[in-house]
Amino acid sequence: MKKYISTIAVVVSLLVINACQKGEINSLNTPVVDGITKDPSRSDLFNLVTGAESGMRNSLAVYIDGTGIIGREIYRFSSAEPRYTTDLLGGGTKQLDNNTFYLTNPWAARYQVSRQCFILLDAIKNTRTEVASDQQKKAFSGFAKTLIGYQLLLNINLTNTNGARIPVANGGTLGGVVTDPAVVMDSVLKFLNDGKADLTGSEVIFPLSDGFLGFKDAAGLLKFNRAIAARVYIYRQQWASALAALNESFLDLNGDQNKGIYHAFSTNGGDLANTLFLAPNGNGEVRVSHPTFATDILAGDNRLQTKTALRTSSASQGGLTGNRDVIIWSSLNAPISVIRNEELILIYAEAKIQLNAIPDAIVAINRIRLAHNLPPYAGLTTQAALITEMLYERRYSLFMEGHRWIDLRRYNLLNTLPKDRPDDDIWTKYPLPQNESNL
Amino acid sequence: MLLPKSSLLVLLCLCSTLALFAQQNISGKIKDAVSGKPLPGVTVRVPNTNKGTITDPGGAYTLVVPAGATSLVVSYTGYKSQTITLKTGESVYNISIEEDFARLEEIVVTGLATNVKRSNLANAVATISGQELNGVAPAQTFDAALSGKVPGALITANSGAPGGGISVKMRGITSVFGNSQPLYVVDGIFFNNSSIPAGLNDVTGAATSGNPNNQDNPSSRIADLNPEDIENIEILKGASAAAMYGAKAAAGVIIITTKKGKTGKTKISFNQEVGFTKVRHLMGVRTFTADAAADLAGAADNPSPAVQAKRAAYKQQFTDAKNAGKIYDYEKEMFGETGLVLNSGISLSGGGEKTTFYLSGNRRQEDGIVKHTGYFNNSIRLNVDHKINDRVSLGVTTNYIGSSADRGLTNNDNNGVSYGVALSSTPDFVDLHPNALGEYPRNPFAASNPLETRDLMANNEKTNRFVGGANLEIKLQQNDRSTTRLIGRGGIDYFNYKTAALFPRNLQFEENGLQGHSIQGNTNNTNTNIAGFVVNNFTPNPNLSLTSTVGATLETGFMDNIVTSATNLVSGQSNLDASANTTTRQFRQKFRDNGIFIQEDLSLMEALTVSGGVRFDRSTNNGDFQKYYVFPKGSFSWNLTKMKFWNISSIDNLKIRAAYGQSGNVPPYGSKFTGMLGSNIGGFPGVLVDNLQGNPDIKPERQAEFETGLDISVLNGRVSLEATYYNKNIYDVLLRHALPASSGYANEWKNSGDLKNQGLELGLNLIPVNTRSFRWNSSINFWFNRSKVTKLIIPPYAIGAFGNSLGTFYLEEGAPATQIKGTVGSDLKLIGDAEPKFQMSFFNEVTLFKNFSLRFLIHWKKGGDNINLTQLLTDLGATSFDYDDMISGTKAGAFRPGAGDASIYVQDASYVRIREIGLYYNVPLKNTKNVKGIRVGVSANNFFTWTKYVGYDPEVSNFGSNTITTSQSRGSIGLSTGVDVMPFPASKRASFHVGIDF
Repeated sequence: MKKYISTIAVVVSLLVINACQKGEINSLNTPVVDGITKDPSRSDLFNLVTGAESGMRNSLAVYIDGTGIIGREIYRFSSAEPRYTTDLLGGGTKQLDNNTFYLTNPWAARYQVSRQCFILLDAIKNTRTEVASDQQKKAFSGFAKTLIGYQLLLNINLTNTNGARIPVANGGTLGGVVTDPAVVMDSVLKFLNDGKADLTGSEVIFPLSDGFLGFKDAAGLLKFNRAIAARVYIYRQQWASALAALNESFLDLNGDQNKGIYHAFSTNGGDLANTLFLAPNGNGEVRVSHPTFATDILAGDNRLQTKTALRTSSASQGGLTGNRDVIIWSSLNAPISVIRNEELILIYAEAKIQLNAIPDAIVAINRIRLAHNLPPYAGLTTQAALITEMLYERRYSLFMEGHRWIDLRRYNLLNTLPKDRPDDDIWTKYPLPQNESNL
Repeated sequence: MLLPKSSLLVLLCLCSTLALFAQQNISGKIKDAVSGKPLPGVTVRVPNTNKGTITDPGGAYTLVVPAGATSLVVSYTGYKSQTITLKTGESVYNISIEEDFARLEEIVVTGLATNVKRSNLANAVATISGQELNGVAPAQTFDAALSGKVPGALITANSGAPGGGISVKMRGITSVFGNSQPLYVVDGIFFNNSSIPAGLNDVTGAATSGNPNNQDNPSSRIADLNPEDIENIEILKGASAAAMYGAKAAAGVIIITTKKGKTGKTKISFNQEVGFTKVRHLMGVRTFTADAAADLAGAADNPSPAVQAKRAAYKQQFTDAKNAGKIYDYEKEMFGETGLVLNSGISLSGGGEKTTFYLSGNRRQEDGIVKHTGYFNNSIRLNVDHKINDRVSLGVTTNYIGSSADRGLTNNDNNGVSYGVALSSTPDFVDLHPNALGEYPRNPFAASNPLETRDLMANNEKTNRFVGGANLEIKLQQNDRSTTRLIGRGGIDYFNYKTAALFPRNLQFEENGLQGHSIQGNTNNTNTNIAGFVVNNFTPNPNLSLTSTVGATLETGFMDNIVTSATNLVSGQSNLDASANTTTRQFRQKFRDNGIFIQEDLSLMEALTVSGGVRFDRSTNNGDFQKYYVFPKGSFSWNLTKMKFWNISSIDNLKIRAAYGQSGNVPPYGSKFTGMLGSNIGGFPGVLVDNLQGNPDIKPERQAEFETGLDISVLNGRVSLEATYYNKNIYDVLLRHALPASSGYANEWKNSGDLKNQGLELGLNLIPVNTRSFRWNSSINFWFNRSKVTKLIIPPYAIGAFGNSLGTFYLEEGAPATQIKGTVGSDLKLIGDAEPKFQMSFFNEVTLFKNFSLRFLIHWKKGGDNINLTQLLTDLGATSFDYDDMISGTKAGAFRPGAGDASIYVQDASYVRIREIGLYYNVPLKNTKNVKGIRVGVSANNFFTWTKYVGYDPEVSNFGSNTITTSQSRGSIGLSTGVDVMPFPASKRASFHVGIDF
């Protein structure tokens, strides 16, 4: 029996050894959502704001490339990724894929930023006033709501009548897919208007990158909010509201047309480099303007030289050839615009044309033409002629800023885009991502 | 060592209190019944006592037998035991023993501390001897040597890159997002087999668009193990056999036993292999013409003057190159090298009565089929077994491994920089060779000059690893009817893994971009496992035996992976601080799993075996880390031939068996959290919510496996058949369930359905001829598996590879887990299945005149589709070897990618392969004192393959098999093999061997 006692003792001691090792092993690498929203510190809040601003850049390049390719602004040649010249141009019998990178990556990245903003809103709700005063909290929530609206706008731009879902707060139940883009854009406006209400009279304590240079305070963020709202109003054809929003934005007919809000990039540690930058005259990975960019441009228009540069040797893929590199982004550290004064001037012109305030519109149009080495507008002063003129200016001024395809769709002019190969297609919208059916 | 022969006497235990006066000396020789060769190392003992000895190198033995003993039992591994009746007055017994062809007496592990004879085994446990593993045609690494040898497994090499990387899937799909690879246990030590990426994604951008899973193609750590140290491998394929290994064993357990020393003269063995390695197959390249060159710029009828000018330029470039004789086959230049293989091993083994040892050193050196690639492995092992006294014995194993692999830059990439992707768009008329100053021309057809990349870059993985363990066995008590043993076991596996990927700033793709990358990773990983068991054998009478086991296990792991990526390098430097920018990523993971189990085994008349057990497991990776999950198991086998009523002498073994077991597969580390990942801008530190939503309620997958079978052997074991059917269900399958992206999350961890795998495994062993001068031994295995998603509580979804238009694995209720769907026209259709229809292997060993032996292994995989994006890329780059063949009036290379039909690139990857073939000769030695044996041989590994698959090899996996998931990158999943994107081509080897024993 003595022997058994020792046996039992050993077994028991083994179990005790196991039992001694107690305690949960928590996340060793990153903060976790539940942790950061519960009684956040000032640094926690700042980190969330920085993450939201930073996250807006994720998969932005493929959004700009995709809309640029479908809108026949550019060709994107890649020896590793065929679908820029097949799917997106509708080569052969190819359809747009509802489950691949050019759609799902930017789509998800935009909603991810919305999620981040809702996490920030949750955190703000749980913030003690010693950490941030109510006035200071308002700036956080105003900024968050502005971003949610803007991110949703980019997604409905992609899918249009295939619809999108309205993002919901943490723990909320997702609603159905809203297939009327007008309804989605009204929701965008609701987020923007709520953001405006919060930003009004608030105090910004959080840091923003120099992409927001000149707009880092509450007044600046309000102007940013209204600039985006103006864009949405013209999409909604609410011209007067667009002008009203422009009034509160940073529109300056005589000012620097490049003034505005940008996504900052850098090659610094933990930051993102601007992947839209490709060295001119490169091979393999090439972004060239669509041949019509050069053939359709007016003589003397300096946007030919400021936005593209002639290659030493033309580039080809899939039976397509281009000879002008896109040079909008000069380096891996170059910013990408969110919204600029030049666009606001053109929004102003468009609203004025639509409201039949022709002289005002021409003043604005001429501001753009002058800046690009063109003589003042001398064409017909009919609404139709001015719309054509305004679209020309938008095409060249906002080249590769994600507008042309959407502009032509707004004016039912997608059928005017060229098809380079017999079986190519001009897509009117992206499909709804496959994963949106996973509910 | 001039000890008398009698010193070889091993008294297994001295507990006996028998009187000394009544003893008798018995001696004799033991021989093989067929060849007549004397057999050394045979155990001769008196049954039911502790008296015994083993034979010397000449097969002789002497034994002191107590008076009253009536019989002797002679046993030897691989031979049938024999019982000899002792006759009074006789003292010399020469005995011939017969080989155990059906391996009925082989001892097989069934629990953590218990084992059973194969004749009573309830599971189909595959065993591979060191000879079978390494004695035919050695593979480069241990993992590759398993191919074709495990019935029920689908073993796929990820690529041909030096340093290994193999996916082993036992009995179908065990898990999709949990661990799908088996647990490797080496002498009781849990041997880490994770693949840790080197951060090449920073250069290739492979995981940045189509698929977020890492595609760095890292080696797997099991490759570190020296195959020559292996004595024996046992493979537990599923929960019914492996349940007692608990939560890590759901995907099966590969139990490796390394060689141990034997009492006796010190044996020194030296083996040398010299060989070469070559690419198995080159796809071939397109032969351009002037018109074909011009077509690269656009069609002949294109009205654009730019296109026409470019056409003329290409035409001119082609004509100039042709006239200058500068047409090149870059595929051959890149992958056509012949690598030298050198493999030297030396081992010493021996020992005295109390202590035995095995010491070995091995050095494997091998060049790859691409310049500047290769593999280098040094391994030292010392295994010592010591008997402290009659009751306590201790075994210690230690192993140091230093390995280095240069793996080049292959697999998918989105920046046009990996060898294959760059080659795919490089036509034969461009000159990429360096000039006299060593300057490489810029490749106008791709983002990189692959020759330049190959010559100037480095991608090295270095491992320093120590694996050590101890096994302590204490006999707590012993009497006539019972024995109680306490077994304690512990092991530690530590490695430091250093990766260095260097891309100098003057490379074509770096000079105008990030201007050089130096990516250096450092990983420290420690795994420990300790376990304690108490085993009691109780034999109330000779017909009944009961074994009870109770035990507890604890495993811990800690990994710390730091990767620093420096860009904008100081010219010519690789130091991280000689750069303008650096980014560092760190990933740590830690777990603690523990389990408690009890098991009871009952054996009746050596015919009926019944076993039952239950295990309680918990893990810190589970949502509730304190909760114990319960996993039962039970098995039964009935050997009819051991029954009294059995009188059919032609059937010498007939057994029916059934086993059931459950096991859990713990969720991956971190699946219970929603992380906030670093995301900075403007110099401010930021955190951004991860797109993978954690699940605080995550629990392990539960596998329940039932298997049943029949074993039969006739003609004295010369024909034996083992047939097994299994049904393996996985409940609460762990999925990274795709969420609507509008939720802000792309995926969520969820236990979201059930999976079923059913299959059949047949093994037929034959010895058609067995004479003194000619012996032929053959084994044929046939197996297949069918999987099905039986329940999915989430909507069906695509889980990879690269989107619907290129074919994707698609989980859907009622469909096979391995189905591949893709866009055909505008519909999503079923276009393939990665599961083979069946596999077969055919192993033969022919021995002539005792000294010649020819061994070969043929492996046939029938069916199983790959997603061949290598062909897609060569089509798009207009360099496919068959680009100019016509399909429906269009050039094949233009037709295939433009057809809008994903099924074109989903292709049958069947093959028949002579995995191994070896011819060896034992040089007969006469009158030599020092040299005991000399062997010479030639072998060929993976040398002959028949396949219709277009691509470097039908075995391929762009996503690897065991790549770890970090907070920033997603690792391998259980369903990603067979995606072919410009891999490192597979190689074949041929070698000459010489071995000398002293």
